[in-house]
This record gives sequence, C-alpha cells and structure tokens, in this order.
Amino acid sequence: MTQLSSTDTDTSAEAEPQPDERREAWAARLADSLGNGYAEHHIIGGSDLWVRVARDSWTDAATAARDLLGCQFFDWLSAIDWLPSPFGRDMDAQEDNPEPKAADPMEQGHAGGETRFQMVMRLYSITEHMGLTIKADLPDGDLSIDTLIGVYPGADWHEREAWEMFGIHFNNHPDLRNIYLPGEFEGNPLRKDFPLLARRVKPWPGIVDVELFPGEEDS
Amino acid sequence: MTAVGTDQRQQLAYVATQAADARLNVEIETEGMTLNIGPQHPATHGTLRLVARLDGEQVVEAEPIMGYLHRGYEKLADVRTYPQVTTLINRIDWLGSFANEVPFILAAEQLMEVEAPPRAAWIRTILFELSRLANISLFLGDMGMQLGAITPVFFAFRDREFVLNQIEAVTGGRFHPNFDRIGGLKDDLPKGWIDETRGVMVKMRNFCDELEDLLLGNEIFEARTRGVGVIPADVALSYGLSGANLRASGVDWDMRRDNPCGLVHDQLDWKVWTHPDGDSFARYWVRLQETREATHMIEQMLDGLPGGPVMAKVPVIIKVPAGEAYVATENPLGVMGYYVVSKGDLGPFRVKIRSASFNNISVTPWVMRGVYVPDVITILASLYFILGDIDR
Amino acid sequence: MGLVASGKAPKPLTKLLNLGRKYSIWMYQWGLACCAIEMGAVIGSPRYDVMRLGVIPFPASPRQADLVVISGTVTDKMVPSILRLYQQMPDPKYVISMGSCANCGGPYWDSYSVTKGVDQVIPVDVYVPGCPPRPEALLEGIVLLQERISNEDPAARWRGDPIVVD
Repeated sequence: MTQLSSTDTDTSAEAEPQPDERREAWAARLADSLGNGYAEHHIIGGSDLWVRVARDSWTDAATAARDLLGCQFFDWLSAIDWLPSPFGRDMDAQEDNPEPKAADPMEQGHAGGETRFQMVMRLYSITEHMGLTIKADLPDGDLSIDTLIGVYPGADWHEREAWEMFGIHFNNHPDLRNIYLPGEFEGNPLRKDFPLLARRVKPWPGIVDVELFPGEEDS
Repeated sequence: MTAVGTDQRQQLAYVATQAADARLNVEIETEGMTLNIGPQHPATHGTLRLVARLDGEQVVEAEPIMGYLHRGYEKLADVRTYPQVTTLINRIDWLGSFANEVPFILAAEQLMEVEAPPRAAWIRTILFELSRLANISLFLGDMGMQLGAITPVFFAFRDREFVLNQIEAVTGGRFHPNFDRIGGLKDDLPKGWIDETRGVMVKMRNFCDELEDLLLGNEIFEARTRGVGVIPADVALSYGLSGANLRASGVDWDMRRDNPCGLVHDQLDWKVWTHPDGDSFARYWVRLQETREATHMIEQMLDGLPGGPVMAKVPVIIKVPAGEAYVATENPLGVMGYYVVSKGDLGPFRVKIRSASFNNISVTPWVMRGVYVPDVITILASLYFILGDIDR
Repeated sequence: MGLVASGKAPKPLTKLLNLGRKYSIWMYQWGLACCAIEMGAVIGSPRYDVMRLGVIPFPASPRQADLVVISGTVTDKMVPSILRLYQQMPDPKYVISMGSCANCGGPYWDSYSVTKGVDQVIPVDVYVPGCPPRPEALLEGIVLLQERISNEDPAARWRGDPIVVD
C-alpha cells in the first residue's frame, strides 16, 4: 500500500499562464465580427477558451463560430444558475433541517457576467481540434433568448432541456415542451432554489464517516 | 453481388432516400395511423418510446419520447462530493461504466492541477478500452437480433462475460467499477491479470471474426442495412453526432487521436476507421473494426505498461479549487464530456453532462422521414444508444 | 379451477399443482436500466441460463406471464405503465424487484424524478439487492420465489388476497 502515496510526482509546481496564440486569434476574430455584442473572454493557455457575448448576439456568435472559426460540431447547450443554493450544501449539514443561510454573494465563473442565469454553449472544430465555450447573460426579469435551431438543428432538444430545467424561454423555438419530466411536474429542477424534498425529510448523515487511508492520521 | 465503388454506393443511398421523400408526396389517400413503440419494447433496448405517424407502410414523422429513465444526475451532482459523483456517473452508460468516470476525473484533475502517474494513466486507458469492448460487443450482437438473427446476441453475451471478468478482477465490480480516483487509481492490477487479458483479447478477436462471417456476408443483413438511414456528414456534425455514428459518415475525427488529454492513446499505433456511406451498414462496420482495433490497442498497452505508483499525492478530503473545466473523451458511444464548475467546495457547484447518446438520437426525427416501418428498428439499432446515456 | 379457487382442493392435489406452477413460470422482463443487462445475461447468456430453473422468458405479452421482473430505476413517468402492466397480468401473479433502484430508489434516493421503490405501486414478492445484482443473485431470487410458490395456498392467490408476510 506504500505506492498509494508517491513522492516522485510533484504537483505543486506553479504553472505559468502560457500565451495561446490560436485561441487569442479565435477570440479576436469573434470580437471583430460581433462588435458591440462581444463582452469579454478568458483563456487558459493550451487548454480552453471562454467567450461571453450579449444576449442579442447569441445566434450571431454561433453563426460566426460556425462560419468563421469552422466550429461545425455542435457539442451542447445548457445554462448555469449562479445563485448560491439557499439550502446550503445539504451534505455538509450536521443538524437535521438547517435553516436557509443568508445568500452568499453571487460569483460568476470564467469570462465574468452580471446575472443569475447564464446560457452556455460549447462548439468544437474538428479540423482545428479546438473548442470554445460561449456564454450569455440573461436578465432576471426576462429569461428568454433566441433559438439556435437555424444555425445548429441539433440545438432543438438541448433547448427543450434548458427550458424544462431552468425555465428559460427560447424565442422562435417551434416545439418547446417537456422532454424528460411528466407534464404535471411543477418547478425547474436545476434552479438552485429548487429543493430536493427527500433530503429535507431525511437528512444526509454528514461527512463524519470519511474513511482514511491506512496509516493516515485524523487531523 | 456486383462490385460497386464507394462513391457510387453513397450516391445510390442518397437516391434511395430522395425517392422515399418523393413517394410521400404521391397523391394516394391512405388513412394516417399512429404507431407507438415503447416505452418498453425490445427494439428500443431500454425505455425509449417512439411515436411514429404512418402513411401506409411509411413513416411520415417519428418522434422519440424519452425521460422514462430521467434520474436527475445534474441536480444530484450538486449535492454530492466528488467521490460520490463518480459512483453516480458510473450508471450513465451502464455498459461501459469505467469510461464514464474518466472524463469527470480528468476534469477534476485539471482543476486541481494534479496529474496521474504514468502507470495510472496506462491502466486507465486499458480499462477505458476494455469498457469499450464490453459495450460494443453487445451492440454487435444486438444489431443482429433487431434484424431477426438470434445467434449473434448469444455469442455477444457469451464472450462479453470474459471481458467483464477481467474488469471485475481489477476493480471488483462487473458493471460499476467506481475505480477511478482523482490523482490515479484505487489499486494496481492483480497478479496474473496481464496474461489472462491477452487470452481474452484473442477470444474477442475470434468473436469479431465470427460475427463478420455471420452477418457481414449475409445477404439479408446487407439488404436490411445498406442505404438505410443515411446521415450525411454535415447533418451529422450539426446535430452533434459523435463516435462511430460520425465516423460512419466519413468524418475522420476521433478524440482519442486528436485530443488525448490524459489518456495514452497517442503513444499507441492504431488506426481510426471511417466509412463513407453513412448508412446503417457503415455504422455496424465501423464499430466492428473499432472493436478489433481496441483489442490490438490493449495488447500494445499490456506490453508497454510502465512501472511506478498508481496514485499521485492528493489530500484525503478532496476540495477542488474554484474554476471551470470541460473535458471530453471518446467513449464507446461517442464523445462524452463533463463541464465542471467548482467553487472550492467538497462537491461541484454545477456539472453539465454531455452524453453522446442524447445528441446521437436527436437526429432520429430527421433521418426517419420517409423510411419504412422495419427500417425504424434498423436505424434505432444502428445509431446505438443507451437509455441512461440519453436521459441521464 | 372452481375447486382450487374455492379452497376445497385436497392437500396432495394442491402440492401437485404447486409443483407444476413452480417449474413453469413465464417471466416477463421489464428491463429499465443497468439491471436489465444483468437480467439479459441471465436470459441470454449460456453461463447463467435461467431456463434450467423452469423459467420461460420472453412471453409475447404480460397477459401470458406469471412473473414480472422489475429491473432498474423506476421513475415517476414510468409508474403508470408499470401499473397498467401489472393490472394486465392474470392472477396468480408474482413480482420480483431487482436492484436497489427498484427496491428503494437506490443511489437516487434523493432525486426529484425517481420513485423510491416499486413497492409503492405494486406488491413485491422477492427483493433482489445489489447495484446491479449479479446474475446469480437474480437466479437466487427466482429460487426463493419458487419456494414460496411451493408452500402457498393457491386459493388465496386466486382470490387476489393481499399478501401477508409472516
């Protein structure tokens, strides 16, 4: 069992942020084509590219990515709810039914953002072997965005899923109805304020029973 | 059979679908009929329901209805720790369970800036390819069953057991290994395993040969699959088809070769198989070749397995630093990826699961316009989906 | 049949009838998730071969089946179909719940869309634990069911009385 803890793999070395010219070029070309609709981007060198666009430029961004960058492959589309869960992380709960905490400040991820809900789509270029993630902010009062079906027909089901899970409306989507849940289901499960009732009734036992590796001291 | 060039064959396939489209517009008054297949039907191997509106023997419109197996993975991942999430995601594509863990673990490792030691990466890749064998061998048999040939499925269940035995010997689980850890693997290989696996690889190649003899030369099989369900490359890409479904449409793209991220496929000598036709036959053919290629890959990896530890140094209680990462790998069913958003907690803040079958099956309404009812079964079988992978 | 249903059948006859029923179970497979593949291995794999226990898989319809194996995750969307299936089966009918999901919700115990156990909807005779259970476990479950059949009073089953477990 000694091999479980090796000494020769040193992972603490700080990786310098390396410049990534290909991804910089992609971001620049998107920014040129979208003009004011382009908000900002974030690059992790040699790894990935995030771009945030305005809500009105959502379909334009997809078209530009397909035609200018060669991202023919439609990977997926979804949304993120940045609201910190009002129920806390249930598994950390030591008491039965923890009182809802005061909401932590919302903190958006890479490429920033201002709103609670963000659309995310992932596109990939099979010739360049590079992908990018495009995000767009959705204002709380008006959770709607244009559909991508005209650009990528495969977006159809993904948008139905996002509509069901987050309650985001897709303008001009021909067939927006439930994809997973039965019709009488109420609520949007992937919103952070949707409670998992089974957990409210029967609490998670907590993290007390974490098993330690052999020979490891309890800190 | 007369020899037909690939270009010509593809052209013929197109003509066939065009003609099917045209026939729909013929002015014959027939009573429309709605055919409901599923939600429990052998042909959908799982709980997919297909509602097809028919005109005579032809499908005017087919719509898959899923959600009969929706378990809410993305929500459950919000309230679980990283090790608990790996237990869950085993069950997405239950035929190739180990392969489900790999992209998630790689994404978490990317966020933690941990790298698995070389031996762990190699064993990971071996198990990754073994789960491909376990998964696709069942498809190879099942496709025959959908078309009326019972024997292949018994062969598949017979020979698949050998692969499952090998997976079980390493991980302790036939189906759901839960063996991958952030920073490496739970354990090393057991004694004698490498030699046994070599024997199993020979068995699997024999299995492929048997099926090739049984099905590929079979006139009925060819008649039922050639030119049925043609998906051109551009359509396949815009629907996000991946894996063998995409390569059967002539797109030469494989994540294992082009974007290896953490696995060792780039150090092996192997070939990406493509087929220009894009029909059901091509999809079967590509998968058969891939199975064979996987056995060769595993043999190479068994030969070149490096020594050393199988686990990097990671803390006991894993907290992943804040950030976002998307890692996708070429799983048995196609590209599977996890978009992990972390806020520095014990568990992820949001996990978006990109499962291959969801995209693969979303093309069915497009491809099923104008086909005959028996072809519905062929197309569904050849697109090859796992319900857990669609519904998540 | 009138004799059996009225409960007046003599004991040796009951024993004989039970012996016959025990070794000719038509098994309807309701495969939902991972467990369906293990059930497939029980049916289709020469290594496990359920027919040697006198179980006949693949009936054409639930109306011909004695036993249904619910194997896999039962979701709220699936429940109406399962109920309908169960109502279509003729008495006496038996249910095996295979796998943790069908027993109690399993790893999805806190999910918003999974039914926490198929026994909330239909009565279950044998629970097979595991995630997924090995094929041998399902065979064991079938053997347990056969034991139950050989010791039971057919009249109660025919009348559709609620099952009481001692």
